[in-house]
Amino acid sequence: MEEGFTLWLTGLSGSGKTTIAEMMERELRSRGMKVERLDGEEIRAHLKETLGFTRRDREIHLRYLAFICGLLNRNGIVAVVGAISPYRDLREMVRNLLYKYIEIYCQCPLDVLQVRDTKGGYRRAVSGKIDYFTVISDPYEEPEQPEVILRTHLETPGESVGNLLKFLENSGLVPVPPSPPGDYSEEEEQIIAERLKNFGY
Amino acid sequence: MKTKVLVIGLDGACPDWVFDRWREDLPHLNRLMARGTWARLDSTIPPITVPAWTCMLTGKDPGQLGIYGFRNRLDYSYGRMGIANALAVKEDRVWDILSRMGFKVVVVGVPQTYPPQPVNGQMISCFLTPSIKNQYTYPPDLRHEIESWVGEYILDIEHFRTEDKPALLEAIYTMTRKRFQVVRHLISEKPWDFFMMVEMGTDRIHHGFWKYTDPSHPQYRPGNPLENSMRDYYRYIDREVGELLTQVGEETRILVVSDHGAKALQGGICLNQWLIREGYLVLKEKPEGIVPLGQCQVDWTRTRAWGEGGYYGRIFINRQGREAQGIVPANDYDALCRELTAGLKAIRDDQEKELSTQVFKPEEIYKSVTGIPSDLIVYFGDLAWRSVGTIGYETVITQNNDTGPDDANHSREGIFILYDPLSPGRGEVNNLQITDIAPLLLSFFGLPGPDGLQARGI
Repeated sequence: MEEGFTLWLTGLSGSGKTTIAEMMERELRSRGMKVERLDGEEIRAHLKETLGFTRRDREIHLRYLAFICGLLNRNGIVAVVGAISPYRDLREMVRNLLYKYIEIYCQCPLDVLQVRDTKGGYRRAVSGKIDYFTVISDPYEEPEQPEVILRTHLETPGESVGNLLKFLENSGLVPVPPSPPGDYSEEEEQIIAERLKNFGY
Repeated sequence: MKTKVLVIGLDGACPDWVFDRWREDLPHLNRLMARGTWARLDSTIPPITVPAWTCMLTGKDPGQLGIYGFRNRLDYSYGRMGIANALAVKEDRVWDILSRMGFKVVVVGVPQTYPPQPVNGQMISCFLTPSIKNQYTYPPDLRHEIESWVGEYILDIEHFRTEDKPALLEAIYTMTRKRFQVVRHLISEKPWDFFMMVEMGTDRIHHGFWKYTDPSHPQYRPGNPLENSMRDYYRYIDREVGELLTQVGEETRILVVSDHGAKALQGGICLNQWLIREGYLVLKEKPEGIVPLGQCQVDWTRTRAWGEGGYYGRIFINRQGREAQGIVPANDYDALCRELTAGLKAIRDDQEKELSTQVFKPEEIYKSVTGIPSDLIVYFGDLAWRSVGTIGYETVITQNNDTGPDDANHSREGIFILYDPLSPGRGEVNNLQITDIAPLLLSFFGLPGPDGLQARGI
């Protein structure tokens, strides 16, 4: 059985990890691949009684995630992970635990994220209501050499997914799909022209 | 509280029906009006599905978009027109901006969305899709879910030009029923912050059935068996809207809009026939029968202007240095436009009554002009009369439509009904433009409008 691989999306809260992970999950499934999406926050919610946000807790969290990804990959399933994973050495630890690890940095400037603030976390963190909020009260160490950088403040989620897919197709990890619909063929244009005429336009 | 916005688009829904004549028959829309803010919404010039919906959702006028109708000149040759599908839209629509900002969107049947482009959510494209065999959804596999819900999805009415009105009515209801069924599934099964649908049935029923309902239509007969068909359809639409309101819950902002309205079609003005009669358009030989201009032998060396038909008229000047065989010098261009405008306005109907025709120049009505607009835009009888582009008529006035039976033309005003649970309604307001909608919708999500345009206080 062919091994799967892990797509690891790292970045600050609100940088688009979950959005892109969800879109990638759908797209890869539509290409016939087996996929499981693991959301760092969801996994943490299941482990919340035991895990906080100290460095040690974060290490344990990532080890759990890496273990699950390894299991999935060994069974031919692609794991798509969205997790802030702020520490460089811990991400390197995950890389070394997995057979095929693709690191994707969802890069977005802090000022943009603070405007978006879709969950209100930045506002609460700045006012001191949340501890250990990455980049406000806890560090984020930017990836130095991720496989892919997605500048999510400059591109739509669709564009980000397109860029990531291009990388995966070029790497031979994901099959290339048939071309999406482009402009009309001559025959299709005739059909539409006739239809518009019928509607009196 | 998380922001949720539902936009229900009813193509061509007419303020005269919704706000006046049938208001009491439409309890759900009436209640939204009573609790919200409503207005007659000024459409685009021209008030046509494309580009009106795109202008609504970009906040840009046709000139800024470079889209002046469904078909637009591709170059300055004599007849190359391209169909303006989604690929012609170069500006962000509301859902593009929301997607980029991480909001979930669902878009169903909004005109000018084929081919469907990726969004942060779901999209079902419109009647500009050649067929459902084409990829008409994003993501592609959404089509399989649609088929599991409603079987064969209906993009628009086939065989629209028919005198078999009961069959046409049934087809309109079937299309609408399926669309709302798909919408209900998407509302409950997909995550969304912004949901927009457009139903085309309101426009289709106007064109097919107006003469049975409106006493001002020349072919209206009181007591005819189809007299209540349009009203009954509007009541059905109101019930479907009511169901959606129950489904989405009280905290959702609701906007019901149309891109333009409709009015009785009084007849047609044979635009190219008039241009021939007045000496602006010259043919090498007279055609046999009624034929499109494109099938005629035009003497371009002696032609100063030609036209295109449709719900509105378009006039193109054969300009020296611009068109391939242009003869109108640049110095004479403005004078010719004025002369044509005066002549068009002087055309009278078959009772020799003045038509109140209006003529517009793109550079005078749009913020900027891109692409290739016509030189003049013509509303015959303020759109009560259609522009007939074919040639071979004995007179300039006709009661026959060259594209088949059609009872209605478009009118300048659509409907706007906003229910905002977070703000008290203001009742009827005035001076609302179709390009005000995009900034308004974005403001609900705390975002500036396109190009930083702020929403008007509506």
